[in-house]
Amino acid sequence: MADHFAAFSFVDRITELEPGSRARADFEIPADLPAFPACLVAEAVGQLAAWVAMAQIDFRGRPVAALATETIFHRDVAPGSRLELVVDIESCDDEAVAYGGSAEVDGETVIELKHCLGPMLPVQDFDSPDAMRERYRLLCGEGAPSGRFHGVADPDLVAIESASGKSARAVLRVPRSAPFFADHFPRRPVFPATLLLDSQIRLAMELARSSIQLSAGTRLVPQRMTNVKVRAFIVPGQDVDLATELVSAHGASSTARLSAAVDGRSVATARLEIATRNNR
Amino acid sequence: MANDAAITKDEIQTVFPKVAETMADALGCDVEQVKLDVSLIEGLDAESIDFLDMVFRLERAFKIKIPRGKIVENARGDLPESEFEEKGIVTEKGLAQLKAYLSEVPAERFKTPMKVADIPRLFTPETFCKLVIHAQREAKAAA
Repeated sequence: MADHFAAFSFVDRITELEPGSRARADFEIPADLPAFPACLVAEAVGQLAAWVAMAQIDFRGRPVAALATETIFHRDVAPGSRLELVVDIESCDDEAVAYGGSAEVDGETVIELKHCLGPMLPVQDFDSPDAMRERYRLLCGEGAPSGRFHGVADPDLVAIESASGKSARAVLRVPRSAPFFADHFPRRPVFPATLLLDSQIRLAMELARSSIQLSAGTRLVPQRMTNVKVRAFIVPGQDVDLATELVSAHGASSTARLSAAVDGRSVATARLEIATRNNR
Repeated sequence: MANDAAITKDEIQTVFPKVAETMADALGCDVEQVKLDVSLIEGLDAESIDFLDMVFRLERAFKIKIPRGKIVENARGDLPESEFEEKGIVTEKGLAQLKAYLSEVPAERFKTPMKVADIPRLFTPETFCKLVIHAQREAKAAA
């Protein structure tokens, strides 16, 4: 299982730990990747929180992505950077973990997650509890070898319709197979919620770029994502209907409402604030 | 005030505006839709993740702690779990206790037999107001 703990794992070493309460960890982003999207930085923070939470309940349960009240994207992260991850666990039991956290590069905060909550599901449904315990010991000790993440190809996003300046729809074609499914998760492949959010952000940014007039030397960036709610798992090969709607514009920022559905049933919702920044 | 003292209508009206606003945010609906007696599942399409979201938001809005499963625990009161339910079905004694705790819910909405898993179908915003008031009383008693 070469892809297990490699194809979608973003914690190399836990460097500080207050069990069940707080942790710091590192992740080296391989320099040969074309990019490292902000959603994967958020995933890294979430994975660190998951390790601390799972250890706290002796690997009876694992949290799954469900609620993220606020995610602030401060800046892009370049391949070759070393992420320094921090999490604070607000509460943790066999039902759920609540946490916040951040990631820094060279001492500068690149992303912040506030008031996130993941319900716990039985570990054994997703992975071998013994393999998880062993991995955790490695992360807390010498650390895992870095450089084993080889990137994630953007899934197909097929545009359906766009009402310029207002809304857009697209179908996200989740691949039937991909290396990350062997890691997320070995016993039950699930399309990562952070990759779904990444596709939703792509769609919203395309809509914003086609709708918002920019002055010279400026660009649009995702600035803040709020009220993320993931209602259901997305499995390999599923088609996900994505929709985005620009709902407000205030000065240099706009807000988009994001939704995702499978067979007419809502699987995820969120809001995204898009800001105008000067090109550097 | 003792934690098990009856909750008054005034207490409910005091917390309801903030509870309604918090629930509307969690459910993505207009605050006007959050009536005190609307069924959250049948009237506002709430799912299990929404209940988790509402509790999580209420904890922050009111600066209280609400342990998971607290509504059923409050409803059960002093009744041992083994007397409240048997094999996932609420007992007769349990149902009487549940009806007393969820006094705002019309009698015809209590099905017999009632599965424990179906108890959330009864919940209304008033149920959550009571949850908040209980948590506030507990915090006050512990202070």
